[in-house]
Amino acid sequence: MQKLVVIGAGMATGRALEHLLDTAPGAYDITLFNAEPRGNYNRIMLSPVLSGEKSYEEIVTHDADWYEENGITCRFGEKVVSIDRERKVVVGEQGEVAYDKLIFGTGSSPFIIPVPGHDLPGVVAYRDLEDTNAMIEAAGKPGARAVVIGGGLLGLEAAAGLRLRGMEVTVLHLMGHLMERQLDEAAGYLLKKDLESRGIEVRLEAATNEISGDGKVERVLLEDGTVLDADIVVMSVGIRPAIGLAKDAGLDCGRALKVDAQMQTSDPDIYALGECVEFDGNVFGLVAPLYDQAKVLAKTLAGEADAFVMKQLSTKLKVTGCDLFSAGDFAGGEGREDIVYRDPARGIYKRLVIEDDQLIGAVMYGDTADGNWFFGLIKDGTDISEMRETLIFGPAYQGGAAADPLSAVAALPPDAEICGCNGVCKGDITAAIEGGATDLGAIRAQTKASASCGTCTGLVEQVLSVALGDDFVMPTAQPVCGCTDLTHEDVRRLIKARELKSQPAVWQELGWTTPNGCHVCRPAVNFYLLADWPLEYRDDPQSRFVNERNHANIQKDGTYSVMPRMWGGMTDANELRAIADAADKYGATVKVTGGQRIDLLGVKKEDLPAIWADLNGAGMVSGHAYTKGLRTVKTCVGKDWCRFGTQDSTGLGIALEKRLWGSWTPHKVKLGVSGCPRNCAEATCKDIGIVCVDSGYQIGVGGAAGMDVKEVERLVDVKTEEEAIEWVVAFVQLYREHAKYLDRAYKWLGKVGLEWVQEVLADDAERAALVERFDLSQSVYQTDPWAERAEPEAARRFQPLADLTLEAAE
Amino acid sequence: MNWIDIGHIDDVPLRGARLVKTSAGCIAVFRTGKDEVFAASDTCPHKGGPLSEGIVHGQKVTCPLHNMVFDLNTGAAQGADEGQIPTYPVRLDGGRILLDGDALANRSAA
Amino acid sequence: MDTAIDSVTDTFIQVSEVWVPDTETGETLVLAEGSYGELAGFEAASRRESFAKGEGLPGKAWAEARPVVLKGFDGSYFKRTEAAREAGLTAAVAVPVFDGDTLNAVLVVLCGDDDTRTGAIEVWADTDGLLMLDDGYYGAAKHFEWVSQHTHFPRGQGLPGGVRASHTPMLMRDLGSGYRFIRADSAGKAGLTTGLGLPVPVPGGAGYVLTLLSARGTPIARRFELWDARSVKVGRDRAAVLADGVCQREGPLWTDDTQEPPRRVAPWQGQIGKVLATGVPVVTSGNPGLSAGYETMVALPIHDDGEIAHIVAWYC
Repeated sequence: MQKLVVIGAGMATGRALEHLLDTAPGAYDITLFNAEPRGNYNRIMLSPVLSGEKSYEEIVTHDADWYEENGITCRFGEKVVSIDRERKVVVGEQGEVAYDKLIFGTGSSPFIIPVPGHDLPGVVAYRDLEDTNAMIEAAGKPGARAVVIGGGLLGLEAAAGLRLRGMEVTVLHLMGHLMERQLDEAAGYLLKKDLESRGIEVRLEAATNEISGDGKVERVLLEDGTVLDADIVVMSVGIRPAIGLAKDAGLDCGRALKVDAQMQTSDPDIYALGECVEFDGNVFGLVAPLYDQAKVLAKTLAGEADAFVMKQLSTKLKVTGCDLFSAGDFAGGEGREDIVYRDPARGIYKRLVIEDDQLIGAVMYGDTADGNWFFGLIKDGTDISEMRETLIFGPAYQGGAAADPLSAVAALPPDAEICGCNGVCKGDITAAIEGGATDLGAIRAQTKASASCGTCTGLVEQVLSVALGDDFVMPTAQPVCGCTDLTHEDVRRLIKARELKSQPAVWQELGWTTPNGCHVCRPAVNFYLLADWPLEYRDDPQSRFVNERNHANIQKDGTYSVMPRMWGGMTDANELRAIADAADKYGATVKVTGGQRIDLLGVKKEDLPAIWADLNGAGMVSGHAYTKGLRTVKTCVGKDWCRFGTQDSTGLGIALEKRLWGSWTPHKVKLGVSGCPRNCAEATCKDIGIVCVDSGYQIGVGGAAGMDVKEVERLVDVKTEEEAIEWVVAFVQLYREHAKYLDRAYKWLGKVGLEWVQEVLADDAERAALVERFDLSQSVYQTDPWAERAEPEAARRFQPLADLTLEAAE
Repeated sequence: MNWIDIGHIDDVPLRGARLVKTSAGCIAVFRTGKDEVFAASDTCPHKGGPLSEGIVHGQKVTCPLHNMVFDLNTGAAQGADEGQIPTYPVRLDGGRILLDGDALANRSAA
Repeated sequence: MDTAIDSVTDTFIQVSEVWVPDTETGETLVLAEGSYGELAGFEAASRRESFAKGEGLPGKAWAEARPVVLKGFDGSYFKRTEAAREAGLTAAVAVPVFDGDTLNAVLVVLCGDDDTRTGAIEVWADTDGLLMLDDGYYGAAKHFEWVSQHTHFPRGQGLPGGVRASHTPMLMRDLGSGYRFIRADSAGKAGLTTGLGLPVPVPGGAGYVLTLLSARGTPIARRFELWDARSVKVGRDRAAVLADGVCQREGPLWTDDTQEPPRRVAPWQGQIGKVLATGVPVVTSGNPGLSAGYETMVALPIHDDGEIAHIVAWYC
């Protein structure tokens, strides 16, 4: 095993060791030196410890147990005296340790301004737990005064903490505004105002001349002659990489210990990371790049390729109630554009700096909600030209008012039915949760909710989420569209459970984020409503795709195709004559389709009512070749003509088509009826396909011959034509009531399972009820749309609203 | 401005549109859920789909052919799509829809 | 075995209840929910009760638009004196929850006075930038009570001054060390460990800070949570993120957000989500869905600038 020695137990080396133990466990025998007599803690959380808002125990990241569990030899409280690179040993105060690989994580030391008195007792830096405890100690004295030199991140956190501890605090800052490296003047002004409202005195452009006192700090003298009483002076003006040891060892140093992108120093067996390193001329003081370095170093030591790259950095100030965020570069300059947003009443200031259509800097004060989003744009160099106008308002600007995705479920009364299959109400589910069920499996086991067809799974999960909060992790489900977080299944169940009977009711009660939906959800919701409430809801043509609204198929040139129904593929000379006349009159192209009918292509929109009237006149109705609804029933000639035919397949086809036509379904429904297993009507690749045999009828469902080609699965075998029709009608109704909009029957079956469908339909009472509900719906919807629209009043809508061609010519 | 009365708002379906023929081409007149009216070219710049046949939602319309969405205020395509349709001044006066004839004339001249 | 410490009867607060304006007239306060433990008699008396503005303790908090501490019910305006006496309850604090000028609810907590329970519920009032003790209930912590009555905090100093200056609830970890010298010393001696301070916004802009100081033996709560729900923090989609918290069972609840995003809940998601959605406090008990298996939870919204700014929650 190779020997790895690490100098310094800080955040960077701690993270590197974690990664190393993860990627290459057991690869190294590790010894860890630390001058501080303790292991690693989250140094950036020292400020809340100082203020009393965290305890030291809470910020420990690696305790003694962790080092022991991972077999790391700790030499804490022991300084490293020197490195002997020849012999490859680290010389500690207590003796030598040999290494194969060595990591420098020596960090940095605070920079102490060399003014007279800087070495008096009571002058502290603000770097580690000892400093923090010294400050807490000083704050214990009644009426104690603190002077903080340096108005940067750490200095201000120290000032706020000391103030909270009860001290009178003055901040001295050499520059014209606070945190000048992270903030611009306006944000610096707001920050100063906030600190002053906490009773902290802030002096800008204040240079310290001298610290004086009799054996300990008593006062601070400024360049302008001001004298400030002080019981403690906190120096927080910057850091210096701690590289004495590295220099002595003869490693290549600049401002800090130089490393390459693999964190390797000039000695190939010695690595370094953290605040002691210099990479590409940069030194480091924030934690994010240190963690990146830790990852790279662990990979390097594990023999994997990785490289450190410089990234943009962001800053936050850890002072409770002080919301500040800065990232990137925000100096003004040629070619740079500022976007500034101010809300003086609420103390909000936001500034974005843009260069070459990219966001390069962001400063935010008072409203930091979008900080991470802006930071992401900066890091990724996203082209923001498209969103420049609204960029400052953040990512949520495009959407409407935020909706509460769970409110619909929360508002359900306890007796609302969630699982229709097993009759489980919301109250049953909440009772199970109160009884200790905390996941979907337990709910299923105890209540049977979502245990059958499963389409209510999403709702059950939402009930869990409402009851359990973020202790329950919601699986991500695909929402209908951007207007809602609910899935199709959720919407269907909620329409039933809450008896929502209009589109505005759905939008309102289910928290749609848009005023009235979009082209994705509107047709779906329209279908769900008309399928569930055939009597109460009226179909909304404006929520239908153009084909269904105009009852004809739009073609790529904007003309339409017109296809009359031919029951079971049967026609006669009279009908054919009328079709021929119509083709002549309206200049239509004639095509015979795969569904055993005739298509008239190229009809202009304004001619539609007239051609429909003509075809109606010959006794023909719409073939619904354009709908998510019943299309055609393809048949073979059956036993009347065919020598192999076993039953009257044409007659059954016609009967089915007459029963089913005009019904809306989640997607198109095509039927086929073949008179014998030779299957001339290709019934086995239809949504519903019946194959006649001597003993009766084999009903298959879930076939398709589109982008997916599917063979039907056997739903049931029945003996009589009446039974066949009853099963088919019940199946169509079940599909109408349960499937997601735009799921063909086979997709729906794939989700709920054929077995479930068979189980439901095998129940005589349930089957009869489905047929009854289907017939009720047909009492409303089985009407010829052509006849309705050929009426003069309706036909007018197919004409232009106005014709201004003449007027313009005048 | 030369306002031309082209019809009553009730002649346009709620959340729907009607076509107006002009010498400059076909214009779609939209009526939103809040009874606002907009006028824009009927022709989708993508593949020429008739926008008056699209689904109207909010102040947007979705082309019936390939689902490009246009903002009726600006005529700009939404989302990742690029495209622009001309829009025309239109206003309501006591339920009558008035279209600006000058804007149409400009278009045919252009 | 820490079951002796971890039992419900030793908590400082024995009853928590939420009173809301009745939905029809909005003119009387009715009981929305409450946690009464074993005190069934007091619960029954409470469920029969309602308060007009100015009537009883909740009505007084509403009418005077400030948190009210009441110690000793006999001969006072307290309406449920007899039931309280039978239940051994002797002190109560009412905290009005205002959204702007509108009263959403009044949270009432009741304590039993005996010489063994230690803790503090304090109301601090901002007087010309100084926070003075308006009133407080301390149980057996008599010396600490005396010290507190003789302490004031400038803005920015100590828990009351810090909360007032930052407009933010705060959770102090170790009151015995450095929580403003003399008071800290006394707090340490009284065994007070964790301190929750929160602003109580009221119409008219008067500044009140409520503090709950919890002792290990008879805790006000074993788990505290501070949720930040300001849109300037969470964005336009309504949500709350867990900004800080400690739990005897689960340890620290905050996350280093440079490494891991804080816990976040949407409206209606759990009890915090319910508070977020309704703007009304939640008191719930015997609910197995509660975090870390606690028996009782109180969650209180703090409104600011027309939105819910923060939610504080405590669990026993």
